[in-house]
Amino acid sequence: MKSISHLTDFYYNTLYPTLTELEKERTDLKNKIIKISIVLFLIIFALFYVITNGLKEINIDLILIFLFGAAAIGGFIYNLMIKDYATSFKTRVIEPLIKEIDANLRYNPMYKVEEHIFVNSKLFTSNIDRYNGNDYVTGQIDSVDITFSDVHAEKKHKDSKGRTTWSTIFKGLFIVTSFNKHFSNSTIILPDSAETLFGSLIGSWLQSNNFGRDQLIKMDDPEFEKEFVVYGNDQIESRYILTHSMMQRILELKKKTGQKVYISFVDGQMYLAIEYNKDLFEPSVFRSLLEYQVAMEYVKTLQLTIAIVEELKLNQKLWSKQ
Amino acid sequence: MTILVILGVIALIVVLMYNSLIAKKNQVENIFGGVDAVLKKRYDLIPNLVASVSRYMEHEKSILEKVTELRAEANKPNLSDKEKIDLDTKITSALGSIMVAVENYPDLKANENVMNLQHNLTEIESQISAARRAYNQAVTDYNNAVEMFPTNYMASYMSLSKKDVFIISEDERKNVNVREMFNA
Repeated sequence: MKSISHLTDFYYNTLYPTLTELEKERTDLKNKIIKISIVLFLIIFALFYVITNGLKEINIDLILIFLFGAAAIGGFIYNLMIKDYATSFKTRVIEPLIKEIDANLRYNPMYKVEEHIFVNSKLFTSNIDRYNGNDYVTGQIDSVDITFSDVHAEKKHKDSKGRTTWSTIFKGLFIVTSFNKHFSNSTIILPDSAETLFGSLIGSWLQSNNFGRDQLIKMDDPEFEKEFVVYGNDQIESRYILTHSMMQRILELKKKTGQKVYISFVDGQMYLAIEYNKDLFEPSVFRSLLEYQVAMEYVKTLQLTIAIVEELKLNQKLWSKQ
Repeated sequence: MTILVILGVIALIVVLMYNSLIAKKNQVENIFGGVDAVLKKRYDLIPNLVASVSRYMEHEKSILEKVTELRAEANKPNLSDKEKIDLDTKITSALGSIMVAVENYPDLKANENVMNLQHNLTEIESQISAARRAYNQAVTDYNNAVEMFPTNYMASYMSLSKKDVFIISEDERKNVNVREMFNA
C-alpha cells in the first residue's frame, strides 16, 4: 500500500502541472462568482427596497423570505457554475490519485453504491426516503474486493403544518469489502451512544432492550465495549468474526478516522460506514488546491479508506477460504 | 384493594426474576451446545493427525498416545459440562505441544497432508476460541444473576448454582497469527 507521504509527493510533483492549470480555472471562477454575487445581492436588495416601499414596511417574515430566497437562488447558481470545475478536478486530480494508490481501481465520479446494498448492510434501520451519492471507487486490493462511495441517506418528516423537512440518516463514506472468514449470520457493530450517554448500567439495559435489533452481544474487550455495541443472531459466530485482535484493529481504525464508525458483517460481506457528515472529494472554490491542508484531506481520506483492507487484515488468507 | 395491588406487583416481580434466571440458564446450555459441536469437530481431526505424524515423531510417542487417550475419554457419553471443559483444556495443551514438535521435523512440515491438518486445526481453534468466549459471557451473566441481590434468593430457591467458565490463556487472547505460523 502506498504511504501518505508517497501520495503527497505524487500530488505535489506529478500532479503539479495539472494543479497549476486548475488553480487558474479556480481563481477565474472565484472572481466570476464574487462578481455575480454582488450583482445578485444588488438586484435582490433593489427588489426588497421596492416591495418594502423604501424600507418603510419591513417585517420579520419578509426578511426571512428574502434571505431564504437569496440563499436558494445563490446556491443554485453556485452549483451550476462550479459543475464543470468540479468535474475536471475529479477526473484530473482524484482519479489519478486513486490510480496511483492502485492501478486496478476504477473510479466513477457520478456513480454511487446502490441503495439496496446500503439497506442490506442492516446498519441503519430507518426507512430511506432520499438516497444520493457520488465518487464511486471499485476494484481489488490484495485480492480483496473493495467498493466505496460517498453516500447521503435521508428521511422525510412532515410536521403538523404539512411542511416537509429532511433529516440525515447517514452522510459519509460507505465501504463494502469481501471478508476472509465464512459466516452465515449477521453481526452489527454500532457506535455506543447509550453507554456514553447513560453510563454502563442503564446504558446496557437500554441496549439489551433495543427493539428492531438482534440479540445484544457483550464483548470481552472493555475498551471495545465502551466504544461500540454489538448485535447479532449468533453469539458464537459474532465472536468468531470479532477476535481480540480484530476488535483492537477496529478501535485503531476508529482512532485514525476520528469519526463515528459503523461496521456490519452480512451475507459474507463486510460493510463499513464512516460518518464524515460532508460530501468528500469535492473541490472548494475559495481555497487553493495547493494548500497543504486541502491536499491532505483528499490524500489522507483516500489512503485511509483503501488501506482498510490492510488495516483490518482482510488480505490475510485463511485456509477455509482459499 | 391496596393489598391486592401490592400482591400483584410482588407476583409480577417474582415471575420476572424467575423468567430471567431461566432465560440465562438456557442461554448457557444453548451456547454450550455450540461449544460441544466445535469441540467434536476437533476430536474428529485427532485420529487423522496422529496417523499422519506418528511415522515421523519417534520422540513424541507419549504425547500422541495421550492425545488419543484424551479423545477416547472425551467421546464417552454422559460427561458433565465441567468434565468436558477440563478435557478440552488438556487436549488444547497436548495439541499445542504436538504442533510445536512438528516444527522440528522438516519433512513433516512440508507434508501436504500435515499442512492441511494444521490449517484445519488453526481454523477450528479459532472457532473454539469464539465458542469459549461466548460461553464464558453467558456463564458470567448467569453467575451474576445467581449471586446478586435480589435474584440470589430466587436462585437458591430454584437450586441453581454457579457454573464454571473456560480459562482462556494469555496466548489465546493474542490470537493466532496465521501468516507467521505457516511462513516460519
